[in-house]
Amino acid sequence: MSKTHVTTSINASLHEFLCEPGDTLLDVLRNELQLTGTKEGCGTGDCGACSVTLNGRLVCACLVLAVEVEGMEVGTIEGIGQSDSLDVIQEKFLEHAALQCGICTPGLIVSTKALLDENPDPTEAEARYYLAGNLCRCTGYDKIIRAVMDAAATLGGAKEGV
Amino acid sequence: MSEAREFKHIGQRTIRPDGYDKVTGRANFGADLSLPGMIWGKIHRSPHAHAKILSIDTSKAEAHPDVLAVVTASDFPAIQSETIAVGEGSEDLFDLTRNLLAADKVLYHGHAVAALAARSERAAAEALSLIEVQYEVLPPVLDLRAAMADDAPVLHQDMFTEGYDKKPEKPSNVATRLEAKIGDIEAGFAAADVIVEREFYTPTAHQGYIEPHACTVRYDENGQSMIWCSTQGHFDVRARTAKILDMDQTSLKVIASEIGGGFGGKTTVYLEPVALLLSKKSGCPVKMVMQRTEVFIATGPTSAAKLWVKVGAKKDGKITAMQGRLAYEAGAFKGSPMMPGVMTMFAPYDVANVCVEGFDVVVNKPKVAAYRAPGAPQAEFAAEMLVSELADQLAMDPLELRLKNAAREGTQTLYGPKLKSVGLVACLEAVKNSPHYQAPLGTPQSGKVRGRALASGFWFNMGGQSSVVINMNPDGTGTIVEGSPDIGGSRASMQMMAAEAMELPISRLKPIIADTDNVPFSATTGGSRTTYATGMAVVEAAQKVVQQLKERAAALWNLTPEQVEYADGVVHAKQGDDQLSVREICQAAEKTGGQISGQANINARGAGPGFAVHVCDLEVDTDTGKVDVIRYTASQDAGKAIHPGYVEGQLQGGAVQGIGWALNEEYIFDDQGVMENSGFLDYRIPLASDLPMIDTLVVEVPNTFHPYGVRGVGETSIIPPLAAVGYAVSKAIGAPITTLPCSPPRVLKLIQDKA
Amino acid sequence: MYNFNYHRPTSIDEAVKQYDEAEDGQYLAGGHTLIPTMKQRLSAPTDLIDLSGIKAMQGITRSDDGAEKMLQIGALARHEEVASSPIVKSMVPVLSALAGGIGDAQVRNRGTLGGSVANCDPAADYPAAVLGLNAQLVTNRRSLDAEQFFMGMFETALDEGELLTSVHFPRPEAAAYVKFPNPASRYALVGLLVAKTNDGVRVAVTGAAPAVFRAAAMEAALTDDFSVSALDSILLPAGDMNSDMHASAEYRAHLCTVMAQRAVAAIVAQDQARARQVTSEVTSESTS
Repeated sequence: MSKTHVTTSINASLHEFLCEPGDTLLDVLRNELQLTGTKEGCGTGDCGACSVTLNGRLVCACLVLAVEVEGMEVGTIEGIGQSDSLDVIQEKFLEHAALQCGICTPGLIVSTKALLDENPDPTEAEARYYLAGNLCRCTGYDKIIRAVMDAAATLGGAKEGV
Repeated sequence: MSEAREFKHIGQRTIRPDGYDKVTGRANFGADLSLPGMIWGKIHRSPHAHAKILSIDTSKAEAHPDVLAVVTASDFPAIQSETIAVGEGSEDLFDLTRNLLAADKVLYHGHAVAALAARSERAAAEALSLIEVQYEVLPPVLDLRAAMADDAPVLHQDMFTEGYDKKPEKPSNVATRLEAKIGDIEAGFAAADVIVEREFYTPTAHQGYIEPHACTVRYDENGQSMIWCSTQGHFDVRARTAKILDMDQTSLKVIASEIGGGFGGKTTVYLEPVALLLSKKSGCPVKMVMQRTEVFIATGPTSAAKLWVKVGAKKDGKITAMQGRLAYEAGAFKGSPMMPGVMTMFAPYDVANVCVEGFDVVVNKPKVAAYRAPGAPQAEFAAEMLVSELADQLAMDPLELRLKNAAREGTQTLYGPKLKSVGLVACLEAVKNSPHYQAPLGTPQSGKVRGRALASGFWFNMGGQSSVVINMNPDGTGTIVEGSPDIGGSRASMQMMAAEAMELPISRLKPIIADTDNVPFSATTGGSRTTYATGMAVVEAAQKVVQQLKERAAALWNLTPEQVEYADGVVHAKQGDDQLSVREICQAAEKTGGQISGQANINARGAGPGFAVHVCDLEVDTDTGKVDVIRYTASQDAGKAIHPGYVEGQLQGGAVQGIGWALNEEYIFDDQGVMENSGFLDYRIPLASDLPMIDTLVVEVPNTFHPYGVRGVGETSIIPPLAAVGYAVSKAIGAPITTLPCSPPRVLKLIQDKA
Repeated sequence: MYNFNYHRPTSIDEAVKQYDEAEDGQYLAGGHTLIPTMKQRLSAPTDLIDLSGIKAMQGITRSDDGAEKMLQIGALARHEEVASSPIVKSMVPVLSALAGGIGDAQVRNRGTLGGSVANCDPAADYPAAVLGLNAQLVTNRRSLDAEQFFMGMFETALDEGELLTSVHFPRPEAAAYVKFPNPASRYALVGLLVAKTNDGVRVAVTGAAPAVFRAAAMEAALTDDFSVSALDSILLPAGDMNSDMHASAEYRAHLCTVMAQRAVAAIVAQDQARARQVTSEVTSESTS
């Protein structure tokens, strides 16, 4: 099977890779580009551990073909914030103890960012509904939702200050 | 320990030291390691639930140009039957080997039959179909009733029920019968004014960790083999793999990756010995990652159980007798958590006459593995449902009934000792005074009904072996080297306990989980033991460091250690103004005998039992049978909450797993034993949108065995929800729930049958 | 996942040609059913024809179809696009609500109207809207009535290689969609779309049977008396319904009535709210 050359932007930097048609975006991120922050929990789009953004829209990387992302913008957890420059969402997850094992955390943070980009001031019910595609088995979601609401409040406060 | 102790670090909500890596995606989990030259392993699994293997032909797979190794059970060295510890229970090494790769028979749909490794993941997956297995299909045994029937097909011809005075004459699917009792059960019921009795059923359910099992391994013929894997206990992975492959433990290093959830399900091995065999045969590093379907069909769910229970009480609510008869599915091989079920069933009650009989039964389903307080949720579900029913019969507040009969210091347990100081009464009082329990249930919209119920839970908690080394660095910082995989934030607790004992800022102390070569043996993270036992080792090691700091400072001053004292990171001479900071002492360590470290290798006893009380409000749609939890409070005795945020998280997470078990989760098999819902699309664990906030009430009744009073908190919280939810549904609809989960069709049928 | 040939046409003609030339071709839209089934080897096409580059199959517009204004949605419109489109909200708000209730956020950002309709999953939401609102299905060859389109479980009137390109929805007088989501997948265990349209009351049922269908008995009852109680005694025959691991046919039949009544109640509430609004406008005009 001949490989296809794909040019794409990942976390705002240009990437080129070769892939086969049967490779998913998740396969390429993890195995070719070593961006292992995006996790695989099910491979069938049911758990949200592989949540990334594609042209700004939240998707499961396990159900996107790598060849499909030619010319598109991919956003992964690695683009959200590093430990010396954490995003507010990441800070709030840490402050609220909103992670236990941490396997769902990258996906949840990517999803939360997508939520707050679309809806900066969600109600608790809206946040719970938007994050229903991200499974967490450890926390019971309580602290995650608190972190999300606190992040929204903090970001909203920052906006008011501008 | 002193009761009203002031802590500097303990009880704070610190940022966990591994947190930065986990929120940025840098943390490396089981599937995240790749090695140069690595190839991919995959498992060929049985399409049948019960069949004889007539032949396995791997020649076509071996001929595939990309396939570098194929293995079957015949590649394992001969293994003798031997009982080995796993989590809170035990398993048989011979059975474990047969579970890794089937030999003569396949015993469940998805049972591993062969494995291969190929140059790419895709090639490995495609080559699996080249492995040809001839089967003679046998009738599957799919539930307890079928398995215990006189004419049941027998899974293991060499299995004769243990636990009877006389060895039975014919083999059976019942591996073990167990009876435990105190007092005189007949007399207890004779003294009762009211007797309630009912049979319950709980389904097969999975731990549901989000990270599938995964490992990357490299075999080395010169004693340098390596396994990187997601596990709750890398020393146990080493022990099992070394035994199964007939290796010395020193020739195998196991590195615990970050672990993406386990809940007991990652306390045994499914892939690692097979991967190492593939690596040995191929000469290449091998990576194996399970697919989600494989996780469901071939890794440990917990037992489905049939639970008969009978309780008698006086009119005033004093319980006089409690009796249970439990049957637990073990899956394909013996070893269900029936025994802890028997021992925990009535543990929240101080009752003179108790008798519980249990059966461990094999069926053609995957071998069960530990799942958070293994065995207890099923048995205590039945007991708590019936105690709530008793309260209704007596027209008593269910909380008052539980208070009246609550286990407390001095209560004789069924499992042996008398209880020391425990927190059940404190949990009941906390719930009684909570805003939730004091609030009225409220009136639902038309077409809906509401119910409230509460339930208690008990779990033993464990201690066991833990090892910790604290290495002080020349700049006065310290590295806490432990061997307990951190499954939910335990590194934060270790850091805080060390900081407390060493009177240093937490930023100066870094906890790491070392591999099996770099820290002495530590038992598996399980049994809610880590913050307790490994925490004790941390404190002991920290105290040794402090002692050395005093000795070294004293040596620099030509004093004896008795002439100095230590406080807030500084050693002072008791007389005079001499003082040296930890940093200064460590910097000068080369002058006083080399660097400073403290080590503790302990076998912790006296893990204080954990009690919990949960209260659940829910609403039932009487037109559809759908149940929504609308308010939930979880109370639990933590002894001492080192990091309150992560303690609350354990209470909340366990509560929600229990809610899922009560409302949604169950394995569904077809009549040939094929699991029909082997993915998160159809086996749905609770979602954010299914739930309210989970309020917590952390009670602290110190455990006197631990320097800071800690009790394990990880497991108890999954026990009460089954009956808190189940009985709240019963109350809402006015009909008894006997079978979990309370799925909409089942609940609607109860509503319709009543009308 | 195993390999296949991948094509990315930019026109409908090119797509159809690639399909016809393939040994076992398959069109790829959002991929949220196709890719999981390929991963599980339940489907193994030799060629995937990715439609995402075809502009002619995208977009949401209002068209003047003779005297009647129609909502025209390209087959590639993703669920989230439909859910958030101001045109959809103003013309056929029920469709916006339905699309916003499909799966989860990740699914809604990838799944497409055309993919869902052409796949004809018995538990999909969109078929209820297509049939209940009497939409027209436009392909590269013809235009089909909703009635003609849905044939059975995963079976439509589309011929081999025929490509669904857009769906045209007439504007209903009032409509509501109520589903009982599978607690696991959030597919419709049963979903009912009730609509008051130019040609009378229509009731479409998804999730319950092998394919979406119209509930004639309910339509007749609601035509006589558009009220919740009109459906009290109507129970659709369970004999025609699906029984599976999630629910029995009897449970589904029961849910049909419950969901239909909830949809009717929602429409009645909409009508009342509209009436109140009109009244208050009239009142405020008269008082000002």
